Amino acid sequence: MTTAPRTTAHGEAGGDGASRTPPAGGRAAKSGRASGGRPPRRRFGTEAVTGYLFVAPAVVLFAVMGLYTIGYGFLLSFASWNGFMPHWTWVGLDNYADLLWRSPIYAPRVRSAGLNTLWVMISVPLLTVLVSFPLAILLGQARRMQSILRSVFFLPYVTSGIAVFFAWQYILQPDGAVNLLLDQLGLGSLQQPQGWLGNPDTALPTMIVVTVWGHVPVAMLLYLTGLQTIDRSLLEAAELDGAGWWRTNLSVVWPLLRPITAIVVLLNLRDSLQGFQTFLVMTNGGPGDHTNVLGLEAYSLAFLKQLRPTLGLASALGWLLFAAALVLALINLRALRSKT
Amino acid sequence: MTSIPLAGRPDKRTRRILARTVVGLLLAGYALISVYPFLWMISAAFKDQLEVVSGGHLIPKNPTLDTLIDTWNKLHFFDFFLNSLLVTLYTVVLTLVVYAAAGYAFAVLRFPGRAFLSRMFVALLFVPGVTVMLPIVLLENEMGILGTHWGLVLPFVNGGAPLSILLMTGAFNAIPAELRDSARVDGAGEFRIFLNIYLPLAQPALITVALLTAIPTWNEYLLTRVSLNDQSTFTLPLGLQTLAAENVPHYNNLMAGALIVVIPVVLLFVCLQRYFVNGLVGAVKG
Repeated sequence: MTTAPRTTAHGEAGGDGASRTPPAGGRAAKSGRASGGRPPRRRFGTEAVTGYLFVAPAVVLFAVMGLYTIGYGFLLSFASWNGFMPHWTWVGLDNYADLLWRSPIYAPRVRSAGLNTLWVMISVPLLTVLVSFPLAILLGQARRMQSILRSVFFLPYVTSGIAVFFAWQYILQPDGAVNLLLDQLGLGSLQQPQGWLGNPDTALPTMIVVTVWGHVPVAMLLYLTGLQTIDRSLLEAAELDGAGWWRTNLSVVWPLLRPITAIVVLLNLRDSLQGFQTFLVMTNGGPGDHTNVLGLEAYSLAFLKQLRPTLGLASALGWLLFAAALVLALINLRALRSKT
Repeated sequence: MTSIPLAGRPDKRTRRILARTVVGLLLAGYALISVYPFLWMISAAFKDQLEVVSGGHLIPKNPTLDTLIDTWNKLHFFDFFLNSLLVTLYTVVLTLVVYAAAGYAFAVLRFPGRAFLSRMFVALLFVPGVTVMLPIVLLENEMGILGTHWGLVLPFVNGGAPLSILLMTGAFNAIPAELRDSARVDGAGEFRIFLNIYLPLAQPALITVALLTAIPTWNEYLLTRVSLNDQSTFTLPLGLQTLAAENVPHYNNLMAGALIVVIPVVLLFVCLQRYFVNGLVGAVKG
């Protein structure tokens, strides 16, 4: 046993049991030969059965909660239904057409929500990287307090949810803490008398800042672990060559951490495209749809339209989001591959 | 190298001290930004109605526990708290059982369709939550579990599949196969190997998965909001929502409620953060 190469020993520990499944034996023999001349496995059948038993709960759950619902949603996107009528009305691609250009009610809403989403998708990943990369570098240099600071920086992630969004709402009020702070800093002219979420011009940028605040922790942690994998001698060599602190970080560390940046950007793009909980809780799209995003639009089409037949539209919008996410993921994956 | 004039040293030292101070200040600055909303949350939770409306100061002038007690009693927060605890507990336990087994199969066992199945679970990561939420609600309505806690737990468990499977597979892969081989020689069956050898060795990963499941479940609001109707089944985020939905939101009560929601996860994180950090790192490398 101990002389067996690890690749074959791994997960193929067989050969000591009695053979009961001749058909499987053929395949086992083939794979046994392919992986380096081990005697043919004879317990393949039992191992496969055990394998299926072990994945069965996950697969069953996925079949019901995943596959079924995905298929159902896909079909529904070609139908018109309000959730109460006994039958769906098949409308073909009408829902998609209505959302994208045809309907005078929904198309403009989707367009403006799409524009807002685009702003979020551009600024959130950018700002998150701009904040979390330097933060990770600085934290990596802190000697004492590092783990305490890391925990503090992590609070926004741990508590991410309705409670914290209410707290933000509270401090962004007209007489809230943010306006107060600006006043105390002598920046009273920046105060927002309508509140930061009440003014249509500041609402979306404010929501972007809150979102970034919530996304920085994970990004920072990823950068921090990336930093730990960098070879110390590289940094020392750069220093010997006369590179200063800025130069080292910008020309050595930043390029080395590019794969991490790709992951951070992908995670943030996905969340910006699909996430809407912050928006639902803090502004519900307001004031006047200035913070309406596509995820929120799909959610309200699905759940907040009472008896109007918008469920098919909601599904169609969900699928458009899915398609966009997939395209983004593929582009990002390609970028990641070409750089590493 | 030795020719550096001695006079240069103090200069270098002050520069280093200066640099360290700047770094410290920047870090402290961002730490303040991180906790800023929480400071005001705590502040408001200890103010009474009059004081919170007058606003303008962080430290309450006459701090009172009445607001917290009042909020706790007013909306049956204890019931909500128990509901949250139950939903989170069920979700975590079920996640651990289901995906530890699946991870073991994907990492250790060989069976036809293994690669396909494991890829399928990872692909699930890209399906937007909002796309499946509506079908889930409709399906649960048919099944008669809409509005029950199981109606929340099952989709939550399924939603955590990609990350949990990724983490568990990675952890089981890291365990040397020789252990399994020698256990087989000693006559141990697959199930015993899994229970007695692999599970104990993968304990850090199990804790990570538990934590990564517990935190979002505790905070979940979107599906919960459209699933639960009966107040006796409400979880804490929904209880908080009902507080906010009052005509004039009383921010001292609302922040007290928010504090009640936040404290348990913060405690959990502080106790187990070591696993959390390592786990996220493992998830990304995997």
